[in-house]
Amino acid sequence: MSTLEQTTTRSEGHRDPWGVKLERVGKHQDREAYRLLFEHFAPQIKYYAIANGIASHAEELVQEVFVSIWRKSSLYDWRKAAASTWIFTIARNQRIDMLRKMQRTSAEISVETEDLWQIPGENEEEPVTALHRLVSERRIRDSLKHLPEEQVTVIAKVYMEHKSHQAVADELNIPLGTVKSRVRLALNKLKVILQDENV
Amino acid sequence: MTQHHPDSFILMEYSAGNLSEPHALCVRLHLEQCPYCRSRVDMLDSLGAVMMESRPKVSVDDSLFDRLLTRIEDEPAQQDPIEVALRGHRDPLRKLLGEDLANLPWKRQLGDVSVLDITDHFPGQPERVVLQKLTPGGKAPAHTHRGTETTVVLQGAYTDNKGLFKQWDFIVMGEEDTHKPIATHDDDCITLSVLSAPLKLTGRLTRLLNPLIR
Ligand SMILES: [Zn+2]
Repeated sequence: MSTLEQTTTRSEGHRDPWGVKLERVGKHQDREAYRLLFEHFAPQIKYYAIANGIASHAEELVQEVFVSIWRKSSLYDWRKAAASTWIFTIARNQRIDMLRKMQRTSAEISVETEDLWQIPGENEEEPVTALHRLVSERRIRDSLKHLPEEQVTVIAKVYMEHKSHQAVADELNIPLGTVKSRVRLALNKLKVILQDENV
Repeated sequence: MTQHHPDSFILMEYSAGNLSEPHALCVRLHLEQCPYCRSRVDMLDSLGAVMMESRPKVSVDDSLFDRLLTRIEDEPAQQDPIEVALRGHRDPLRKLLGEDLANLPWKRQLGDVSVLDITDHFPGQPERVVLQKLTPGGKAPAHTHRGTETTVVLQGAYTDNKGLFKQWDFIVMGEEDTHKPIATHDDDCITLSVLSAPLKLTGRLTRLLNPLIR
């Protein structure tokens, strides 16, 4: 048995249930699996839109994200990304796209959003390197529960309200250095910062 | 593999989708060539997913799913594999410029320096975006920054007082930094720089001569 097969077999046991559904959509256009994904992720994406300040377009964003999920589902490979990570990046890109379209003054967009922000796994052949993504998502989910609220708040503002670290500092009326040290502590605890990195 | 990477804060803002388009382009070009940073961004994308999942949920209108089904009715879930393969490998810079770096309409500024301002490709974005080409061994004028200057080396390499910067290295110069890049002798050095605020000249060169100032 090759290393790839072994790893694949081992992780089959933890197979992400949403990833299974997403693959069913991609392979069989399974509308029941699609509906289950919708019921689980649509309310998250709607909140994401509202937090991002586009409440009046929240359901439009949900719809665009799900159309995109439908179109791209055949490219999804559960070995390359957890379903929720994959869907997050689609929601992020659709949000960027929607804002770009709203703010666009000239008709021409020379670079598409997906040229700048890629969906994980779209551009690579090697599932082995990608396998750690599933593990790291699980680890991040487990350790997020143990983070102090002040660290979670800062990260949530960056991810959910598309604020820069500087904007978060301004809003919370704390120095930029404090924001960064909270992020750094959180990333260390989540093991998102690799050990050899000095931020 | 490159030696100079974006820090975790830049990558987090990238993963969150908060960077301006020119800054996102710099990160994207670096990621293309840097498996180390790709894996960091993967983890940050997962952090985004877990964040989204841990926040409140807002119920959607009952009819939304039915409307969605109507909309996708005629859409095959399959995509043309050739189109997908092409898209995976498209080079965003090449697409933006429509030309290879060598064939661009470079404007010669000083003996050693040519520039091309591509700010117009990013309508509505506050930054200035500039390509700069130094001939082998060529010297760029010294300058400091009022804001930040984010640079990706696209070809060749240069040195300054901070070190040696090679192809695909990612460099952020802050307000306090003065530098005077010199291309290495083997090749033209081409860089992409995103300037968040105008530059200040240092040394004897006039404003006119500074390629990074309009
Ligand atoms: Zn890197």
